[in-house]
Amino acid sequence: MEERLKDLSMRARAALEGARSLDELEEARARYLGRSGLLREIQQGIRDVAQELRPRIGQLINTTKADLERILEERRGALEELKIHERGDEQLIDVTLPGRAQYSAGRHPLLATLDDMLEIFLGLGYTIASGPEVENYHYGFEALNYPADHPAMDEQATFYIAEDVLLRSQTSTVQIRVMEAQEPPVRVVVPGRCFRRDTMDATHSHTFHQLEGLCVDEGVTFADLKGTLLAFGRGMFGEDTQVRFRPDFFPFTEPSAEFAVTCFNCHGDGCRICKGSGWIELGGAGMVDPNVLAGVGYDTERYTGFAFGVGIERFAMNRYGIPDMRLLYSGDMRLLRQF
Amino acid sequence: MRVPYSWLMEYLETATPADELAEILTMGGLEVEEVEEWTSADGKARDTILITSVTSNRGDLLSMVGVARHTAALLRCNLKLPELRIEETDSPNVAGSDLTQGDTRITIDDLPGCPRYSALRLVGVQIRPSPDWMRHRLEAAGVRPLGNVIDATNYVLLELGQPLHAFDHRLLVRGHIIVRRAEDGEKLVTIDGNTRELSENDLVIADEKGAIALAGVMGGTETEMGERTTDVLLESAHFNPTMIRRTAQRHVMSTEASYRFERFVDPNLTLPALARAAQLIRQTAGGEVAGPAIDVRAEDFAREPITLRPARTNWVLGTKLQTPEQVELLKRLGFGVETDTAAAEGAARGLPDRDWLRPYPNELQALERMTVAVPTRRPDIEREIDLIEEIAIIYGYNNMPTTLPGAIASAGVRTREQKLESRVSEVMRGAGICENVSYSMMGGCDLDFLCLVPEAPEREALCLRDPAAENQELMRTTLLPGLLVAAQHNVRRRVDTVALFEIGRVFLGRGEGVLPEERQKLAAICMGSSRVSTWNLPNEYQEMDFYWLKGVIEQLCGRLNVTGLTFERADRSSLHPGRSATVIVDGEQIGHLGEISREVQRAYDLPSPAVLLEIDLDTLIAKADLLAQYAPQPRFPAVNRDLALVVDQDEAHSGTHLIEAAERSGGELLESVSIFDVYADPERLGAGRKSVAMRLVFRDPDRTLTDEEVDEAMRGIIQHMERKLRAEARTW
Repeated sequence: MEERLKDLSMRARAALEGARSLDELEEARARYLGRSGLLREIQQGIRDVAQELRPRIGQLINTTKADLERILEERRGALEELKIHERGDEQLIDVTLPGRAQYSAGRHPLLATLDDMLEIFLGLGYTIASGPEVENYHYGFEALNYPADHPAMDEQATFYIAEDVLLRSQTSTVQIRVMEAQEPPVRVVVPGRCFRRDTMDATHSHTFHQLEGLCVDEGVTFADLKGTLLAFGRGMFGEDTQVRFRPDFFPFTEPSAEFAVTCFNCHGDGCRICKGSGWIELGGAGMVDPNVLAGVGYDTERYTGFAFGVGIERFAMNRYGIPDMRLLYSGDMRLLRQF
Repeated sequence: MRVPYSWLMEYLETATPADELAEILTMGGLEVEEVEEWTSADGKARDTILITSVTSNRGDLLSMVGVARHTAALLRCNLKLPELRIEETDSPNVAGSDLTQGDTRITIDDLPGCPRYSALRLVGVQIRPSPDWMRHRLEAAGVRPLGNVIDATNYVLLELGQPLHAFDHRLLVRGHIIVRRAEDGEKLVTIDGNTRELSENDLVIADEKGAIALAGVMGGTETEMGERTTDVLLESAHFNPTMIRRTAQRHVMSTEASYRFERFVDPNLTLPALARAAQLIRQTAGGEVAGPAIDVRAEDFAREPITLRPARTNWVLGTKLQTPEQVELLKRLGFGVETDTAAAEGAARGLPDRDWLRPYPNELQALERMTVAVPTRRPDIEREIDLIEEIAIIYGYNNMPTTLPGAIASAGVRTREQKLESRVSEVMRGAGICENVSYSMMGGCDLDFLCLVPEAPEREALCLRDPAAENQELMRTTLLPGLLVAAQHNVRRRVDTVALFEIGRVFLGRGEGVLPEERQKLAAICMGSSRVSTWNLPNEYQEMDFYWLKGVIEQLCGRLNVTGLTFERADRSSLHPGRSATVIVDGEQIGHLGEISREVQRAYDLPSPAVLLEIDLDTLIAKADLLAQYAPQPRFPAVNRDLALVVDQDEAHSGTHLIEAAERSGGELLESVSIFDVYADPERLGAGRKSVAMRLVFRDPDRTLTDEEVDEAMRGIIQHMERKLRAEARTW
């Protein structure tokens, strides 16, 4: 009896483990473990076994059965897994077909660039202000210390709606509105659209964006302006960035400067993006002209301040490698889906 | 301006190479845009040209000597200027407004326009080509050589920055030069061959017959120098910059002369320039100076000195420049400086270090002062701050310290509105709609394409006087044209799936003399599939249709914590009459949503009817809440019941009406109602009838409901539907 059981166990084990399909496995199960299978037959034969041996044999049968059932389940699992990998099963999907998710869109490259800039100034304690895009002549020029009929105004190529109503050609107009509305300390940045009658080409657009900054308080210095723009340059381009200042002229600042950062691409060695100079010019800056401060009623002896303006478009173009400014305004889905 | 390197070096005791010089000048306030290697047309001369870009406040840098002066200050080297005096200019004949000397008479009729007119006569000159050295210099500087006398005047213009004009004295009627306003309609043929019609706003040089030159801009042909000229009258004047600028603009002319006069020419340069020109003419054309120079002038052009507090320099710049250093920097510019030594004791230097960097303004006044005499060539320097800028430039911006402003007690945070606006962009982009940035201008044709009725407020657009491009003459009153044009752009490139939104300002006129109202709008255009890939998906799972975009607005309002959002059928000429809605929040219309009408679709040549949205974002944001308020999750289970109603297919049985009817009649236990199926089948339901299936959710927050309670509530709803809405009801 014991022998027969051992023999059966071996054969059943071989049949189960050797089954190559679920069908073969089922066949083996029926043959050995089924209702009228061979194990059952032996189980029934226990009646012929001597009384004193019965418990031992019975226990042996039970462990054999449990072993075989375990083997059966293991094999079944393995075969099922195998089967899913075979062609033609209804559970099988082609995992290489494209996903069918809804689109998710990124920030427009221009606005993403602006956001990054704003982030830096928020961190430096600035708040974000805004002002009208259609402005009075007073805010557009007069309050910014433009002398009447001066060649400096030619550089602006301003759009006019009426004698006294124009499209702002720079965000500096908002400096005046902010200072009129509050006393120092002032620490604001102003992102916004500006307009100039430029011929549209790859690097010019009649509608463009600027970020203006203004900081007025007791004891604000040109050195502070340098440090602020250095922090800005490093925030945008990394800690090894350097900032360079050279004299320039704006009626509303004095001293005035043009500022540049080391090229983010070549780190100052000179490349295509910086046209070999190693520097990328970012914008204009300077100490707010006392005439401007006096115009809004600030005490020019007590308060000094700096202001700066950065163009966004060229910055964004350099950053993302966009070759033509007009693309930013095209609404081209093939462009926008890239961001 | 083109600055030939060898010409510039003639005035400087330095051997700085051109490239290095270009860099020093650029960093020192005179931008060198380009360094060009130049060879003359005859191949005999070579030079390196520094091409400078001069800011509009620095007319003094529009000459070789001006550049040399600035360079000498930056390099701290010696300056060698040419001899600018001859006997005849050293002792001129001076008068206030009218002067006669021999056959020459000068009259200034308009002293504000021409505060100074100097002249010098040369006789016996012989017109011929200039020597090579002069022709090469002019050519290198970009001026065409024309003959020795004219060349000499141009040479002086380039060298000193003083424009000169040479008249043929014999062609002046009675030798009388009159500086006056032109008469309206007076004509002048300028030497470029154009006939100019003048007005009384133009300043002219005239003789007794009529205008002979447009003052400070260009001479006339009548008195032009010719090959046989021997008797020359040289004009060296100072004109009012604004008048010259207006005249040049009016006649659309910009000449070497007008460019300089507009930017202010040193009024004390008239006589030195004549002296220099006389030297050159005698050298290249022979002849003799006939009598002393004539100098008619309104004043003596002296300037008041400017007071500078050295401490103020450091207060503004954040530097620690000692007074002698500041004096030295100013003297390098050729400014006369006198320090008040008595007050200087114990001033700046005596202060502790920290206070010196940031002195208090009141203490400033106690500090030292210096008086600075600024030459008349620098009209841009009028105030203390102007001197501080000069100190900064010569000291070098990049040599100054770099610090950050002190802390202030305010956090850099976005305002509520700014945060909500960012959230709007996030939600729209999360729905897969791309962010668009379009121009703020639109064309009148766009308003027609949108089929706007004549009285539509969008037609009240501000009009640009001088638009930059076709179809961009109006400031936008709606964001839709920008989006439709973008959709058209994509379709023309065979991109048929378009999903764009824009957050931007529109400009609504408020009448003349008042600035327009600028309102922030949110607009979107969608057509095609909402999904990246759509294989095997039925159309309704992918198409961005009315209900898709409506869903986006509902999501948006949810994320903005805006409640009370409803939609009503809209009647907008640009939208499909059957498929458009007014978007309402709390009973206030905030915008519209719908398929574009066939006319608009055709106008923009779109292949399928796009859905459009435009709402007033300012209003929506005003109604929004940054923070959502927590509502506890229900503790007891809900009971769901479905109800199908067959009702009339009309406005009175719209989805909203049916839901409202259910809510009104459902009692307190009814938690929510939603529609999950709508269909019309004339054969089974009868013509003009539709079936609407709704799911009703019942719940009591404090206990589990029994079937009987729900049954009763359902009976109430069904009764109401049958009686008030002529509905046939079926439950399951």
